Amino acid sequence: MTASLAWLAWLLASLIILLSTRNPLLLVVFLSLLLALGIRLSAPPDRKRWLGQNLRFIGTMILLSALINFIFTHTGATRLFSLPKDWFLIGGPFTLESLVYGGINGLVISSLYLTFTLLNKALSIQQLTRLIPNAFYPLTLITTISLTFFPSIQERTRQIKEAQMIRGNPMEKLTDWIPILIPLMVTSLENAIQLSESMTARGFQANKGSRKPSAGLAILILATFLVFAGWVLSLFNYPLWISWGLYLIAAVSLALLLSAQSRAIQITHLHQDRWEKTDVFATSTFTLVFLVLLGLILGQKTAFLSYSPYPALAFPTLPPAAWLLGLVPGLPILLRPHDHRD
Amino acid sequence: MKLRLQSLLINSFVFLLGILSLLAPFVVPQARTSTFSSTSFPVMVSLIVVLCVLILLFEAQSTLLNAKLIAFLGVLIALNAGLRFLEIAIPGPAGFSPVFFLIILTGYYFGGRMGFLMGAMTMLVSGLLTGGVGPWLPGQMITAGWVGQSAGFLRFIFRKLNFAGNPVEIIFLAIFSAIWGMLYGAIMNLWFWPFLAGAPGQTWFQGASLAENFGRYLTYYLATSVVWDVTRSVGNVLVVSFFARPVLQIFDRFNRRFSFQIVKEGEPL
Repeated sequence: MTASLAWLAWLLASLIILLSTRNPLLLVVFLSLLLALGIRLSAPPDRKRWLGQNLRFIGTMILLSALINFIFTHTGATRLFSLPKDWFLIGGPFTLESLVYGGINGLVISSLYLTFTLLNKALSIQQLTRLIPNAFYPLTLITTISLTFFPSIQERTRQIKEAQMIRGNPMEKLTDWIPILIPLMVTSLENAIQLSESMTARGFQANKGSRKPSAGLAILILATFLVFAGWVLSLFNYPLWISWGLYLIAAVSLALLLSAQSRAIQITHLHQDRWEKTDVFATSTFTLVFLVLLGLILGQKTAFLSYSPYPALAFPTLPPAAWLLGLVPGLPILLRPHDHRD
Repeated sequence: MKLRLQSLLINSFVFLLGILSLLAPFVVPQARTSTFSSTSFPVMVSLIVVLCVLILLFEAQSTLLNAKLIAFLGVLIALNAGLRFLEIAIPGPAGFSPVFFLIILTGYYFGGRMGFLMGAMTMLVSGLLTGGVGPWLPGQMITAGWVGQSAGFLRFIFRKLNFAGNPVEIIFLAIFSAIWGMLYGAIMNLWFWPFLAGAPGQTWFQGASLAENFGRYLTYYLATSVVWDVTRSVGNVLVVSFFARPVLQIFDRFNRRFSFQIVKEGEPL
């Protein structure tokens, strides 16, 4: 599984699962599989270090989140101890339920963080850049130029720094960096002039662009407003179908806009994503999971995934179908996620 | 003039929508009353912020369809992303970041639109380079974009007051960077604070007044973020004070060099 769209589908499926549950059993399975996938994606010598780093992060996040909730939330049936109620913010009973709820929050945040970390690990910078729609091609071009120039700028920084140190610049104070920054900026901008001349010579200037108001921009603004309006209506407890209707109109408008704008721009991709059977299978599976869960959320039928330690702590239960959801982020482990770099 | 007015209207609309979404925990008490809202809250805020970023990028890129601006911004952003790596090398405490001064100076010298692009794209590129692509990225992009965009207004005011080139210019730029050093952290917190709060009634009481909820946020901010943000502010002031003048002189020089015009064959010079 190497195609960027397959990983995007993985991200969407993982996010919708994470955001529809607070069940600690499901979250623990989910997080464990993310860790397993992270180990699989890491190069063998780095695996131990990667796991150690992330376990420390997860532990800190759960502990911190549990403590913050424990100190500031004073609801729940199992009272451990109390502080005088007139103490600002921290006064009141300290409960086991608030400690557990905070821990669950920590699990969700750690899982969210790890999901994105793995996306960064699975996809190369080029693949991530290619996910930017063609409609934003000037920005993609800027991103590509920046990414291309970045290593040479780093190298030049090192060279200028060494030259300055040989001349006796101690590099201890902020002002000692002026002799580095100024030549670095000047040489980099000289490169920018050469690049722009070269782009012009190759015909980039052929498209001068237009500053006229565009219909695309109007559609984008309207779609954003519809999403905002739908969200505000849902916050004020209006029927959910109104909000989802507005979201749908916005999504369709955006999809049509991006597709039309992208079709109007001809871009040659020198390196195409390789699509294998595993990519097709993974993309279909993750999309199906995403759509099924979206349907359940729309129909407000996600109660089987929910759990709350309030008002009194009880052991969580999870139906067999829900266990399967926890396995979703681990699917790429079975689909040789890293063969493009092996 | 008409285009400027249109641009101003679009930017104001996006600013209003973005800020309203981020401030929803304060202005919409209902945000914390139902399970659906509490789980979807950070997703919706992120989604709206993403759409706001897209509008501003879409609007800003219309001026970018020429090789000079694309090359100039591309290299400047690479330089700034490099400065993010220098955070480790430059002696400074936690929270200090040298990336903001170039965003502020670009917005100040080349105008709000370039400033916005510089801020937003710096965060995107450095996110790609450091593996920092995540749900926090849209918030970082729009906030850093606002840093650069607002610096453009500063230029407009300074020209009116005839500050350009005076030492006062640098003093005010330093103050401006100090304010954004604090604001950046406070705005970025707003994205995840309601999510961290989690349970209904945890830090948000239904029917609580705006002032009371603001007080709760302030307590959270003072406990977790203020030290970082003060360090960032002081760092910004120092970097702007030392580096702003030479960097503005470089911008002056390259602005003249970049002013070459491309004329098609057969067109009059």
